[in-house]
Amino acid sequence: MRFAAILDETMGNAAQQAHALGRFLREGLSGDLAGETLVFYHDDRDKTRLVELAPTRAVRLIKTTARRPGRAVELLTAFVHGEAVPLFFFAGGSTGMELATRLAFRTGGAFLTEALSVAVEPDRLLCRRNVYSAHLVGHFELSAPPWCVTIDPSWKDGREPTASREHDVLSDTDESGGPGTSPFEDLELVDPPSAGDLAESRFLVVAGRGAGNREGVERIAEAARRMGADFGVTRPVAMNAWAPMDRLVGISGTRSAPEVCIVVGASGAPAFSWGIEKAAFIAAIDPDEHAPIVMNADAAVLDDGVAVVEELANIVTAERADD
Amino acid sequence: MSALRILVSFKVTPDFEALRAADWAAAAAGDGADGVETRYVRRVLNCFDESALEMALRLSDARAERGVATDLGAVSIGGREAEPYLKTLLALGYERAARVEPEAALDFAPAVVAALVAGYVRQVESCDLLLVGCRSGPGDSGAVPFLVAEALGWPCLTQVIEVEARPDERLRVACMVDDGLLRVTPRLPCVLAVGNAVVSQLRVPTLTERLARKDKGIGVVAGADLGVDIAGELRRTTCVLTRLDGIERARDGVIVGGATPHDKARALFDDHLRNRIERL
Repeated sequence: MRFAAILDETMGNAAQQAHALGRFLREGLSGDLAGETLVFYHDDRDKTRLVELAPTRAVRLIKTTARRPGRAVELLTAFVHGEAVPLFFFAGGSTGMELATRLAFRTGGAFLTEALSVAVEPDRLLCRRNVYSAHLVGHFELSAPPWCVTIDPSWKDGREPTASREHDVLSDTDESGGPGTSPFEDLELVDPPSAGDLAESRFLVVAGRGAGNREGVERIAEAARRMGADFGVTRPVAMNAWAPMDRLVGISGTRSAPEVCIVVGASGAPAFSWGIEKAAFIAAIDPDEHAPIVMNADAAVLDDGVAVVEELANIVTAERADD
Repeated sequence: MSALRILVSFKVTPDFEALRAADWAAAAAGDGADGVETRYVRRVLNCFDESALEMALRLSDARAERGVATDLGAVSIGGREAEPYLKTLLALGYERAARVEPEAALDFAPAVVAALVAGYVRQVESCDLLLVGCRSGPGDSGAVPFLVAEALGWPCLTQVIEVEARPDERLRVACMVDDGLLRVTPRLPCVLAVGNAVVSQLRVPTLTERLARKDKGIGVVAGADLGVDIAGELRRTTCVLTRLDGIERARDGVIVGGATPHDKARALFDDHLRNRIERL
């Protein structure tokens, strides 16, 4: 069966999309398959790099206009009607989700977002994804091709793929002069996301609601800074405006896979735990011995989180001063 | 100048954090996709929808300060559990509040939910701006805003974190997209899917506000009124949940001993963290 992986440089970080798709195709996909990559780009200077990033050997290049997902969906719809490709994979994130769902709508196909794994059978697709805010994993069966699937954000791990010259460019078409105008005006890309350091963090301290108030959160943040750790928060902390939203760790924020993660005053709800479950080592500091985080940690301290993490910061800084 | 018409579509969900471990285990042990027993837990506003509802009120407030009108409506695809929230929204200044009777469980049927929302906009309450949370449990597909936009032929901005009324009455929308913070001015009508906005809590109406608007009724609409055959749409669903599995997250959970916070921090560092932090 043929599939197409979509790399949309016009809407975001193509290198991270390519890396996530590459990991997924190697580790998350099973079945008798042959694939190609459709690369949407808008600047000719990026072409060579994008071809080298592609997660499949076969590549098609499509030049289009930046930040016009509606146009990309039109081109994909035309591709579905012109080619016998029943299966499409999109990188996780809002761009992939928009393209996949809109493509399925227009072609009468089935979609699934944020797939953990996909098994391809001749007449159906078997997929797994998180449901119930990451409390459970659901198994889904998709019946009507074309199947439009976005991969789970966890396939992205902050790394970038190794560029390869072993690619065959099947076609290169210029669709940048396409019909219509963008429904969005005065586009201004202001900041890169400042939470990027959380996704790539090696040492992370996370504050939860048990911090008690804004002052408690700030004390934990200061302890993290003194230890040289990145600082994140759970959703209740961000919702209380005790810390900025871009510090959010969990299913609606950032997923991190640090070597060391210290969780301070968080109960360990699954929607949060999803964000740290790839950590090599988790230490929890919480007074409630029945909190899920205690069982979901490698080591746990049953005490006031702010007091213990401040003592820990004193110890870490003193040890470093002695070295 | 005519009023800006804003409709907010929201969902009331079970509070998953209040469920017992045994309920999750029972769901995972079931033969099929029976779902999770949630009838006994309290209901809460889906967090992204709560942001959308408050965002609409603030946009209305900002426009009112400049003397321009805004017309607010709210709709929920849901049963009676949505009604206390609909009453609250009426008290807060929403002119209309309605629910669409779902007739069946639609938790894993985003296409049907989207068809109902789009049908409501077409048949009952036209609007310039449709605000909706970017995702909601238990399905968490994140697909509904895009599918509604497709059904209406409207553009959609997602991961919206801020909506600002400009002096020329156009809207400036900030979205946290995959590669940064994007600010755009959309042409209306448009769907805005609200993400991790700083505005995250719906204000609470005063008793005076509740009493002043207590006679305003809640609309109840059937799928058939919107041209949607819910049972038929469910039969035609092309993505079906077949099984639920638990997720094993347990680790060693070694309890670190000590009499004081200092002693415990010292033991945590010496026994577990020293070597790991040194290697970083």
